[in-house]
Amino acid sequence: MKAKNGKLFFRGVHIPDAKEFSKESPILPLETDEAAIPLKQHIGAAAEATVSAGDYVKRGQLIGRAAGKISANVHASVAGTVTEVGERDDGRGGSCVHVVIAREGAEEAFLPPLDHPDGAQIAQRIEDAGIVGMGGAGFPAHVKARPIAPVDTLILNGAECEPYLTCDDRLMREQTERIVRGAGYLAIALNATRVIVAIEKNKPEAISLFEKTEFETVKLKKQYPMGSEKHLIYCCTGRKVPLGKLPSDVGVAVQNVATAYAVCEAVELGKPLIERVVTVSGGGADAPKNLLCAVGTPLSRLAEAAGINENAAKFVAGGPMTGTALTGANGVVTKTTSGFLLLTEKETNSETPTPCINCGKCADVCPMRLMPMHTAFYTAVGEYELADRYGGVRSCIECGACSYICPARRPLAQMIKTAKANLGRKA
Amino acid sequence: MKPILSTAPHVKTRRTTKHIMLDVLIALLPATVAGIVYFGLAAAVTVAVALASAFLTEFVWYLVQNKFHRAPKETLKKFFAQFDFTSLITGLLLALCLPANLSAWYMPALGAIFAVGAVKMLFGGTGRNIVNPAIAGRVFLFISFSAMTAYPAANFGAIATNDWENLVAGATQLGNLFAGKPVLSPVDLFLGTGVAGCIGETCKLALIVGGIYLCARGVIKWYLPAIYILVTGLFAVALEGFDFTAFLPSVLSGGLILGAIFMATDYVTTPKSKLGNLIYFAILGLLTAGLRKATQIEVVSFCILLMNFAVFLIDLAIKARPFGFRKPVKRKQDKENRA
Repeated sequence: MKAKNGKLFFRGVHIPDAKEFSKESPILPLETDEAAIPLKQHIGAAAEATVSAGDYVKRGQLIGRAAGKISANVHASVAGTVTEVGERDDGRGGSCVHVVIAREGAEEAFLPPLDHPDGAQIAQRIEDAGIVGMGGAGFPAHVKARPIAPVDTLILNGAECEPYLTCDDRLMREQTERIVRGAGYLAIALNATRVIVAIEKNKPEAISLFEKTEFETVKLKKQYPMGSEKHLIYCCTGRKVPLGKLPSDVGVAVQNVATAYAVCEAVELGKPLIERVVTVSGGGADAPKNLLCAVGTPLSRLAEAAGINENAAKFVAGGPMTGTALTGANGVVTKTTSGFLLLTEKETNSETPTPCINCGKCADVCPMRLMPMHTAFYTAVGEYELADRYGGVRSCIECGACSYICPARRPLAQMIKTAKANLGRKA
Repeated sequence: MKPILSTAPHVKTRRTTKHIMLDVLIALLPATVAGIVYFGLAAAVTVAVALASAFLTEFVWYLVQNKFHRAPKETLKKFFAQFDFTSLITGLLLALCLPANLSAWYMPALGAIFAVGAVKMLFGGTGRNIVNPAIAGRVFLFISFSAMTAYPAANFGAIATNDWENLVAGATQLGNLFAGKPVLSPVDLFLGTGVAGCIGETCKLALIVGGIYLCARGVIKWYLPAIYILVTGLFAVALEGFDFTAFLPSVLSGGLILGAIFMATDYVTTPKSKLGNLIYFAILGLLTAGLRKATQIEVVSFCILLMNFAVFLIDLAIKARPFGFRKPVKRKQDKENRA
C-alpha cells in the first residue's frame, strides 16, 4: 500500500543522523568462541539458571527459566560446555549472573516449528522463545502479546529515531518477508485487524519495500523521539495514550520490527531469541558495520571487528540518546543491545555544565510537554515533590531531548532520573 | 585513556550559551551602526565606554572572587574559558538606551558598573540576576542624572525639514505625541531620521533586522515581541478613545521596539513556560500603554523592570500539563459533600 504521511509532531529535537557510517553495510555474521550470557537482559525479574558448570549445552537450549510473570527465558546462543555460572560485572555499572559457555561443535536444540498456529499457540511460543522488546527497553514480548484490553491495531516500530543506529534499517531491507510474516503472527495473537508499519523518512529504501506489502505504511517525520511508543501511536492513529495508562487502553500494541523478525523465526524455525543485529559505529571505529551477533558475544570482539582506533573516548551500549555508557569495551551483547558505539570526544560534546540561563529550550523540545528546568532546580535542593508538581517528573519518558538541546550543557535527564528514583522510594 | 562516563544522552548539540550570546551581539550590530551613523562621535564614545566598563567590571569581579593573586595564569585562563559575552550584551544594550551626549561620557561607565556589578555579579553572575541588568542600569542613571532627559536628535536625513527647536529642546517623539505637538511621519519614525531619542532606539529598521536574525537563529520566538508591541499599540488606541491614528506613533516611538525585541525577551528575566511568557508579554503591553498615558514619559524600561519582579509569581502559578494529560474528573459525590 502507498505510504501515508504521519501526523505532524511538533516537539522533539532534530539530531544529525550519523547513519551514513553504517547504512550501506549489509548484515554480517560474527563468530565467537566464548559467550557470557546474562540472565537478566529484560525488564522484570532475572531468569533462574537451569544449568551448572561442566554441563554440555546445545545451541538454543534453555539455560535460564523465567522467574515470575514479567520475566523472560534465556537460551544458549552457542553449543558447548558451561565453564562458569556466577556473578559478573556487566560493564554497565552493575552485575548479574552470567552463564559462560565455551564453544564446541554446532549442535542445535530448537523448538518444534509451528504450522498455521492459533493466537494462544503464538503467544505461548513467544514466551517459550524468550522474546523481549528489541528496541532497547526489553519489555517481555509475551506480556504485550496477551493484552488485558482488546487491541485492534498493531504498529510495527521501524522509526529508529536514534542517530547512528542502522540495525533495524538493514533488517527491514534484507528480511522484509520475515518481518511481514512475523507481524502477521503477532496480529493473530493480538486479534488485531489493522497493521501499520511506521518508518522515518530517512529510510526511503525500507519504505518502498514495505509499500509493496499488504500493510499500511506510515512515513514519519525525521525527528527524535519519533519512536517513543506514545508519540508513535499519536502520529500513526491520532490516539493519545492518557497518562499512567498503557497503549492497550487505546487499543494499540507497538512492537519493534526486530521483535517481529524474532517472532517469525521462533514460529517458523522454532529458533529462540539467541542472536540479534548490532550496529557498531561512531567516529572511533574505522569500519562501522552491522553485525549479527550471538547473545553473550563480548563487546571487545565487536570493537575489534569494526576496527577500533585510538580516538574512541566513550563506549555506549544501545543508542546514543538512551543507551548506557560502559566502563570500556567489556560487557557483552544482550537481547536489547541495538548498537555498540565508539564515540570520539568531539562527537559527545561533553563539556562542564555552565549556569542555567533559563532559555526554555528544554521545555520547547520536551515531547511530553514537561518543564525540565523546574525539575533540575527543585531536584538540586532535594524538593522532589515540588519537582514533580512543576516539572512533571512522573510523566517523563527519559528520551534525553532536554539534555541534548541544553546550551548550558546541564545534565537535565540525569536530574529527572534522580528525582524519579527518589519519588519512587518515598511512595 | 579512561573512557568518558555519563548518563544518557551521549551526544549533545554543538550550540552552547556562548553561541546564543554571540548571536545576540550580532543582532545588535545593525542598531549600533545606525546609532553611530545618526549620532556620530558621541554615540561611538558612549558605546565604547559602556562596553569597556561592563567587561572590566566582570573581569575584576571574577579575579577578586577567585583569588587572582594565588594563581594568576590559571585564573586568567579560567576567566576566558567561562566568559560568555553576557556582560558585553549588557554594556551594549545599556549604551543603546542612553542619549548620545559627549559631555556626560562618565554616565555609561557608571551605569555599566552598576548593571554588571550590582545587578548581575552580586546575585551570582550569568543566569542568576533577578532583573535585566541593562534595564536596571538605565533606570539607575535615569533617576540619578538630569542629562538622561535631554535627547539630541538624529543628525540625518529629514532633520532639515523639521522643527529644530522642538527636537533639541528635549522631549522625544513620545513627549511630542502626548503634548499634542506635531509628530514626525511614520516613515521618519520607522527609519529614525530626525527623531530625537536614545542611540539604539531611533532606527526601527535596524532593530527589526536584528530581531529577524534572532528569530531565524532560534534565539527568541517571534510572537513574544509581536504580542508586546501589538498589545501596547492597541491599548494606546483604546485609551485615546479608539483613535487609530495613535497606533503607529505609539508603536514606533520611544524604546518600545528595542525593549520588546532585545530587553523583554532576556531569557533570565522571563517566565519559563510558554503560557507564562504569553501572559507576561501581554501584561507588559497593557502596562506600557497605560503608564505612558498616565505619566506622559517613556516608561518601557520601568515596565520591564516592574514585570521582572513578577516573573516568579507567574512561574509558580503554572504547572506542567504533560502530553496525554486529562483533566481529573471530579466525582459528583465530592461536590455534594462539599455543599
